[in-house]
Amino acid sequence: MESTEKIIEEWRTQPAPLLGMLHAFHERDLKITEEAILAIAKALRIPKAELFGTVTFYDHLSMESGSHDDLRICTGPICSLKGSQEILKAMQGDGARSMPCSGRCDVPIPALRGNRTYQIAPDAIVPTPETPRPIPNPGGLEECVFAEIRDPDRKSLAGYQASGGYLAAEKALNDLGRERTLAEVKASGLAGRGGAGFPTGEKWQAVADAQGSPKYVVCNADEGEPGCFKDRTLLDHDPHLVIEGMILAAFCCGASEGFIYLRYEYPETLKTLGQALQEARDAGLLGKDILGSGYEFQIHLRRGAGAYICGEETSLLNSLEGKHPFPRNRPPYPVTHGFNDLPTAVNNVETLASVPWIVMNGAARYAALGLGDHKGTKLISLSGDIEKPGNYEVPLGLPLKTLIEEWAGGIPGGKKLQAVTMAGLSGGFLGAEDAYAVTLDEPSVRAKGSFLGAGGIMIFDETRDMVDLGRQAMAFFAHESCGKCFPCRIGTQRLTERLAGSAGPDTFAAWREEVEDMGQVMKSSSACGLGMAAPLITESLLRLFPDDLASTIKKANS
Amino acid sequence: MSNPLEDMEKPDVYFCIGTNMTECHPVAATRIKRGLANGGRLIVADPRKIQLAEIADLYLPLKVGTDVALLLAMAHVIDRDGLVNEEFVAERTEGIQELRQHLKEFTPSWASAICQVPAEDIEKAAHWYGEAEKAAIYYTLGITEHICGVDNVQSLSNLALLTGHIGKEGTGINPMRGQNNIQGAGDVGALPNNYPGFQPVDDPKNQAKFEAAWGTPVSLERGITKVTALDQCGDRIRAMIIGGENTVVTDPDRDHCEHALKSLDHLVVIDLFMTETAVLADVVLPASSWGETDGVCTNTERRVQRLRAAVPPPGDAKPDWWIISELGKRLGFSGFDYESAKDVFNELCSLSPIYAGLDWDRIDQGEYQWPVPNKEHTGTPILHIDEFPSGKGKLKIVNLRDPAEVISESYPVWLTTGRRLESYHSRTQTGRSFGIDYLLPQETLEIHPDDVEKWGLTDGKLCRMTSARGSVEIVVEANKRSPRGTVFCSFSFNETPVNILTGSGYDPITQTAELKVCPVRLEIIEER
Amino acid sequence: MIDKTKNTYELTLDGEVVAFSHGESLFEISERHKKEVPTLCYDKRLDAFGGCRMCMVEVEGFRNPVASCTTKASPGMVVHTHTAKLEKDRKTLLELVVSENRQVETPELSGFASQELTQLANRYDAITGRFAGAKSGTSRTEDLNPFILRDYDQCISCYRCVRVCAEREGDYAINVMNRGFATQITTEFNSDLRESECTFCGQCVQTCPTGALADKKALRDRKTVGDIKKTRTICTYCGVGCSVDIMSKEDKIVGIQPAMDGPANLGALCVKGQFAYDFVQHDDRLTTPLVRKNGKLEPVSWTEAIDVAAKGFEKVSRDHGNEAIYAIASGRAPHEASYALQKLMRAGWGLNQIDNCSRA
Repeated sequence: MESTEKIIEEWRTQPAPLLGMLHAFHERDLKITEEAILAIAKALRIPKAELFGTVTFYDHLSMESGSHDDLRICTGPICSLKGSQEILKAMQGDGARSMPCSGRCDVPIPALRGNRTYQIAPDAIVPTPETPRPIPNPGGLEECVFAEIRDPDRKSLAGYQASGGYLAAEKALNDLGRERTLAEVKASGLAGRGGAGFPTGEKWQAVADAQGSPKYVVCNADEGEPGCFKDRTLLDHDPHLVIEGMILAAFCCGASEGFIYLRYEYPETLKTLGQALQEARDAGLLGKDILGSGYEFQIHLRRGAGAYICGEETSLLNSLEGKHPFPRNRPPYPVTHGFNDLPTAVNNVETLASVPWIVMNGAARYAALGLGDHKGTKLISLSGDIEKPGNYEVPLGLPLKTLIEEWAGGIPGGKKLQAVTMAGLSGGFLGAEDAYAVTLDEPSVRAKGSFLGAGGIMIFDETRDMVDLGRQAMAFFAHESCGKCFPCRIGTQRLTERLAGSAGPDTFAAWREEVEDMGQVMKSSSACGLGMAAPLITESLLRLFPDDLASTIKKANS
Repeated sequence: MSNPLEDMEKPDVYFCIGTNMTECHPVAATRIKRGLANGGRLIVADPRKIQLAEIADLYLPLKVGTDVALLLAMAHVIDRDGLVNEEFVAERTEGIQELRQHLKEFTPSWASAICQVPAEDIEKAAHWYGEAEKAAIYYTLGITEHICGVDNVQSLSNLALLTGHIGKEGTGINPMRGQNNIQGAGDVGALPNNYPGFQPVDDPKNQAKFEAAWGTPVSLERGITKVTALDQCGDRIRAMIIGGENTVVTDPDRDHCEHALKSLDHLVVIDLFMTETAVLADVVLPASSWGETDGVCTNTERRVQRLRAAVPPPGDAKPDWWIISELGKRLGFSGFDYESAKDVFNELCSLSPIYAGLDWDRIDQGEYQWPVPNKEHTGTPILHIDEFPSGKGKLKIVNLRDPAEVISESYPVWLTTGRRLESYHSRTQTGRSFGIDYLLPQETLEIHPDDVEKWGLTDGKLCRMTSARGSVEIVVEANKRSPRGTVFCSFSFNETPVNILTGSGYDPITQTAELKVCPVRLEIIEER
Repeated sequence: MIDKTKNTYELTLDGEVVAFSHGESLFEISERHKKEVPTLCYDKRLDAFGGCRMCMVEVEGFRNPVASCTTKASPGMVVHTHTAKLEKDRKTLLELVVSENRQVETPELSGFASQELTQLANRYDAITGRFAGAKSGTSRTEDLNPFILRDYDQCISCYRCVRVCAEREGDYAINVMNRGFATQITTEFNSDLRESECTFCGQCVQTCPTGALADKKALRDRKTVGDIKKTRTICTYCGVGCSVDIMSKEDKIVGIQPAMDGPANLGALCVKGQFAYDFVQHDDRLTTPLVRKNGKLEPVSWTEAIDVAAKGFEKVSRDHGNEAIYAIASGRAPHEASYALQKLMRAGWGLNQIDNCSRA
């Protein structure tokens, strides 16, 4: 067993040491002890009360005995459809706990124990299957991000290089130079694929132009949006693509340090990524003088601890810095005041993974991958009541109907589509009619009152209880609300109570007025996207299923 | 303080020595904490690992009573390594040649052997302080309550003068005053050598001024200090009037004090409570308290502020000025026909150059820091901007001296005394305030756990502590705040009258008692 | 854009062009112009937090309202502080806040800022009973400390206590555990305050806008008859000279509040200044002059006491000369006491036989 002093010494001089220290103690003691908190607080000069509070913020860190090895069963929307709530209930006596969507909607029902993921069924617990590779599209459309991912050797450095890996880095660092590389990214129209959609080239330009050093690139791999599992697929099968994307990002930004912030629930991915990083370091692809270009860049891998809000970039930065992971007030933005208040580019895994292809094949060709006026591609995680769940790389502008029916085999059992979610849970629900009318691009989806976001599309057939799904979704937001701003902290709680019928007015008219007033204030005044997105759930239910809501309210009050 | 409290958020480097500020001046300490949060660096020199030391960037755990050695060595490094502000020294100071010569021998390794602080930390402290753009010194009684108190202060003054860290924002030499109006007591002339406004009594011009003002002859001869007066009680001193001081508990060598007061022919005490001192009096006069009295006080940054009465005093209690005036009138003295505190204060302002610009109405909002030489003046937050009171700043030759008593076979342990956050002085006030007992029910003797074990003591049990003057029983508290070989307690609890032990010596110039160093012996008390 | 060569800029505030300086927030500008933009999480001594969202204003060209406390002004902004929509949203927000507490009213003795929520809720007529549901916060009735009431049922998670403890006091004793609706203000390891880094300075109590953290000691007098009178004075303890308001009801001191604009303390106090005030009206106070008769101190009139005091000095003066008389002044009494005493000695007995207690 590692001594406390050794753990502290191992981490204290590293950048962003807190999460690493906490995990080391959590693994050693199977919980976070008071002694560990006191030792860390002293070493990192974090006030004890603050550190205690921060520990209690994270879902997976617990001061309860043995909590590290407790079985945590996913009760996300898809797993709930597959019966995870019932399994959890049956196993609660054995200390099983629930965890929010853990990003394996393609291979439900995942459960975590220690640092291993299992697949759980009413009668069996087996190791989770290897992450499925994405399904090729039927039309043979050209892909960018998934272009090489089905190559079985792609995971290793040798395999990656055998299929053209690190040639983009070579080209950028030793041929194009910073300005031409950046110009290429700008011209491609690539925009943030984590949901925010900010033009990537402009972000990097802003970091490059900002005062302060060192500069940072942070890969946001805190894939916490329910129904999203695309980043896991990329990192499991093509980790070097993301690393190469980070090298290119750093090169464009003038950054010398990088972090990958990986969500807690991907322990196998953590291992894969750790190995890939080590291979890259050993091969001189990271570190000093990358590819003989004189350019220096390091990447540090950090593991989250169970907080959806840490997918929000400023919460993520606070989390990395060892602070309470509240979102920050903006401006200033991370491009000027990011990690440790220094210029930082925070990019989603998918965004970064698009860059090597763009550098190799040119902006014009990338832009042309999209349909119509839309530039490039988007990864979609498709799950729920669908014949072929999984990740798809679609050209932006593809009709959702095409994806559902032609690519993914339609709704199983000949059932009809009732509703879909677009941006995981953050975009609320679209009814069947709208779902069959939209194309997969922001303008089209936003016109229907939702948004594409990170591209988590969950399919619900006609048999599903949409009000209950809405309640679960709102309960998720309430569980993940950080507690900083009033409208979100109270609003998500009140909306959950109302969807459950456990509190609130007894007439539907009054119920509706309360819910709409809350939705309005949450959308207009919440401090970050969580509080703004949550009311889209109730808004869409009121639009699509008013009768179901009315009867739920009636039943609750009878 | 040479600089205002608000400056405490501004230095790049803080040098706190002999000041347990988070306990004794907690609100001032919050300013330092804010300064640190803004990037300031903190050097703390103190024998105990007080809270300031916990948050310090550099902690110098010096042995009690060795401040001069530490400060000499810091000055040595500052001179040796070219950190002297030559321009400032040339223009504003005198005595640099002699000091340079003097400093040569006091190397960090010499000091290290005496202070038990690593030489490299002394070097570092000197560099931080010397190289800072703005560096400020803060000290309290840990500097002055030694037989070498003046030497300590002069050593600090040398550091500030050598580096020019004085007379500018965010710098200075800043003693933190301990009582709400201890600054004021000096300001208004309750000193044997000065009239109000620090006008020396031995200057004939001042004598003439006050004779004219008061219409009666005044003496050119300095009075004796309180310490001397107590020594002479029953002999040359036969009568005393003590206004609001619990001399018996707060002064060193309690037995001596008590004996002195008892030997007086006549003792008049003005106080709020029947204190340990008041019980010895022939006449006890009940004063109105804070909260019941209109008046003026001056804080540690020389800010002159109004005290206001919120409630009437109990029974027949009266304001001090009224009591003294009645006594003056009864004794047939003229000039005591005051009708209000305002009359008294305005007379003071008319006679004190540092208050000349003030009067009762002008200080209503408390925005003035003295000196305020005239009515147009806006006050003086920072002293010594252009010159020192005596023209040039004097660099002083200071040498290390041993404390009055040093540890020996009979008294092998250093006792150092101080204050605690929750109690104030002799607890006449905090001890009578509901709830304080919950936080601090009794006095304890802070001893390093290793020593507790080594000396066969038990945490939480009584021990006997004996000095050359007396002995007290006190509860042992094993605590790493005190270094091995040194123990600590406060003198607040009458039940644990620690000042029975103290009083080994006094500073020859100020006659301030050496309350910070007292060799003692600790013994186990068998269960009774 | 900010042109750094200029000192002041202009923006439009509710239709009026107003000047501002670099770095000012929209809230600060609105406050300067008496717009009475409501807030619950703002304390001007603290870094803007942006939690309560009550201070949101509309800025033309921005999709959503912005929290005015965290939004820096920039030239040319067109800002609206009280549109009908903002006011409706503010009312909804307040109704939500009211819904999470057991009660909104709190005694004025709870603390300096304790009436803020009540006042706002009344101003917006927000005590409507809408949004009923679970209450947040768990009161710590088992914390028996005598000074700070921890009634978290009244807590609205504005973090002013956490922030004042960190940013102003520098103790970092309190923080928040859990998240979302389960957010709970607490100490390290959820302990009693006495076991934490808390120094009982009371700053959290005084900035709390709801009385969730309240002055337990003052609240003992909540039923005492009389209106609360505040008297500005200076703390009686150390030399820092903090400005305080003594709170009294009729002739009884019932509590202390720090002066937020006190030059030495800016709203801060320590445990002594905040809570150790009741010695003033303690039963042990001397209420009458006493003179020693037959070895015992007996109550007498002022005339007699002054007479005996004077006669004692006259006798010593006759027998041993004036130089046998000595006076000790106090560093605890006001100027007038020490001035009068030194004058008594110098002008009366013609000598400089006076000192004060600064040497001990």
